[in-house]
Amino acid sequence: MDAKRRLDYATYAVFIALIMCAPLVLEEFWLNRIAKFLVYGMLGVAASLCWGYAGILNLGQGLFFGLGAYMMAMSLKLASPTSLQQGSDKPVPDFMLWNAEPGAPTDLCCINRGSFLWLPFQHQWFGVMMGLLVPVVVAAGLGWVMFRKRIAGVFVSIITLALVLLVRLVLIDAQPLTNGFNGLTDLGYLTIGGFEFDPYSAATYYLVASALSLSLILARMLVETRAGLILQAIRDDQNRVRYLGFDVPVYQIFFFAVSAAIGGIAGILYVVVADFASPTFLDLTFSITMVIWAAVGGRGSLLGACIGAILINTIEARVSETEGFLQAWRAIIGLIFVLVVLFLPRGLAGLANDAGEWLTGRLGGGRRRATAPRVASSE
Amino acid sequence: MAEIIFIGLSLSSILLLVALGLAITYGAMGVINMAHGELVMAGAYVTVLSGIWLHLNIIAAIPLAFLVTALIGYLIERLVVRRLYGRLLDTLLATWGVAILIQQAVRLEFGLSFFGRHIAGLGVGLQNVTVPEALTGAITIGGVQVNAFRAFIIGVTVVLTFATWLLMYRSSFGVQVRAIMRNPNMAAACGINVQRVNALTFAYGSGLAGVAGVMMSGFKTVFPDMGTPMVVDGFLVVAAGGVGSLLGTILSAGLLGQINGIVASVTNDILARAMVFAVVILIIVLKPRGLFSYRGR
Repeated sequence: MDAKRRLDYATYAVFIALIMCAPLVLEEFWLNRIAKFLVYGMLGVAASLCWGYAGILNLGQGLFFGLGAYMMAMSLKLASPTSLQQGSDKPVPDFMLWNAEPGAPTDLCCINRGSFLWLPFQHQWFGVMMGLLVPVVVAAGLGWVMFRKRIAGVFVSIITLALVLLVRLVLIDAQPLTNGFNGLTDLGYLTIGGFEFDPYSAATYYLVASALSLSLILARMLVETRAGLILQAIRDDQNRVRYLGFDVPVYQIFFFAVSAAIGGIAGILYVVVADFASPTFLDLTFSITMVIWAAVGGRGSLLGACIGAILINTIEARVSETEGFLQAWRAIIGLIFVLVVLFLPRGLAGLANDAGEWLTGRLGGGRRRATAPRVASSE
Repeated sequence: MAEIIFIGLSLSSILLLVALGLAITYGAMGVINMAHGELVMAGAYVTVLSGIWLHLNIIAAIPLAFLVTALIGYLIERLVVRRLYGRLLDTLLATWGVAILIQQAVRLEFGLSFFGRHIAGLGVGLQNVTVPEALTGAITIGGVQVNAFRAFIIGVTVVLTFATWLLMYRSSFGVQVRAIMRNPNMAAACGINVQRVNALTFAYGSGLAGVAGVMMSGFKTVFPDMGTPMVVDGFLVVAAGGVGSLLGTILSAGLLGQINGIVASVTNDILARAMVFAVVILIIVLKPRGLFSYRGR
């Protein structure tokens, strides 16, 4: 292990130690907020994996986040006290009752035409499993169609963008099942082994922080495997890798699905922390915002993209007490984004990397660094 | 039936109005301008402001909006897009940043709201534009009652499309644009001032967005976020029609508008829009280069 990589791992360790120690200094309100931002950090990791390492600019990452969130929220909705007290021995979501036709049975099986789909979600672990499985299956299916047909570059972005908006509209239209625009609110707590995860508790924070740390470590390990190296080769020159005899789509589909899995888990955790799921998760703006986080933090660095997400959101939360400042901050973010794309394609992580290189060069006698992820040239 | 077709035609004309400018910036120049929707929004605000401050009606606002948005577009090209030719996805990202900036400029009233000053017609709120008497109500065409303003939009779209076709295919400027589209280096070697032509082309595409904005302000509420769904629609129309093909854009706008109208008549507006997205995805998966693509090198 050379000095550069050792420094890299040390940064990961410091970051994980920092987020684990944060509850010691944070009060309840900020703990919950930072937990949300750590979830956004996971989205940054997913974006970096997909965009920085695989060269796939997914403009519909919100799809996987939203699907994960809705699956979890369905289970938690059924676990909420209001759903349990609707005059039936089985839980029924309140919005279904409000919209039920007169005389419809007060039972999840048949209160409206699609409500039976909710039945298995009475088991919380079913919701969790689906929150992970549905995004992965959708991503694998989508990836199979796209990458087998060798669709690349901007066309992948167009398809993912159109798909997230399509699903968003369907979700809104399926009002009897999803509560439409209003989304799922008033949820119960995630319960593991009798322990309830109150969104404002330190336990929930630790749950999110460990999930983020795990996904960071696993993603980092994954890109350092042989498959990860081939993936980066595909990003840099797809045809050359194909001529070398590798089955290019398999690698692309696999990493696309991994990134979707991280997005799905982020969705699940967001619902646990924020206590709601809404169609805004599938807005185009949100999906592109994730890309902004990754770009500012550094798309070629998993940790950089993650820190970018946390940093931008923390600053936004800080300034959002005054409306004028919030609007001005958004303008500043727009400006920063333009400048990053124009002049700093490797983001903050690129700056940190250069600084680290200079440092290790000074200390380690100028040894060459090994494979650090290079930023993919677009198109 | 004729009514549904007219509604489809009206939806198509709105799609085309927004897509026309994108067909030029994306199709001819290879720049995905995500700020296009914000230029539409800027055009709508020009109508609002010229109504309040200059007492101009919506028709008089058309040339004004064209000039203002063309100027904004010119600046975007000079300051941002110029550095990104050949980096398609980066143009998408950078212009998204520009889009945020334009939106915030309107919300913050160019920063004046910080100092407690306000400009009537700008800010975070909703704005409305009154349409002159002559364009309200319904008129009868071939036995079918149609909304006068919608018919007006169709007329404007036809005129703009024709003007764009003339510019691109029947003028020396168009020859230069198409030469650059095929091979910028060769075009430069032939003595075409590539930078100048690119800047003007981008300004023209942006100006079209401004005119689209004037039209939108006549039947939609004007607010800072209004452009985002429009740029998506326009972008999908161009992608489905085939990059670099004006005819493809026209036909794809016609097709998607009709699908939208027909599906909406049997179900609802939300599902109709979802159906449009589904058709676009299908087209791009089956024919990634779009329905009518120009085969470039």
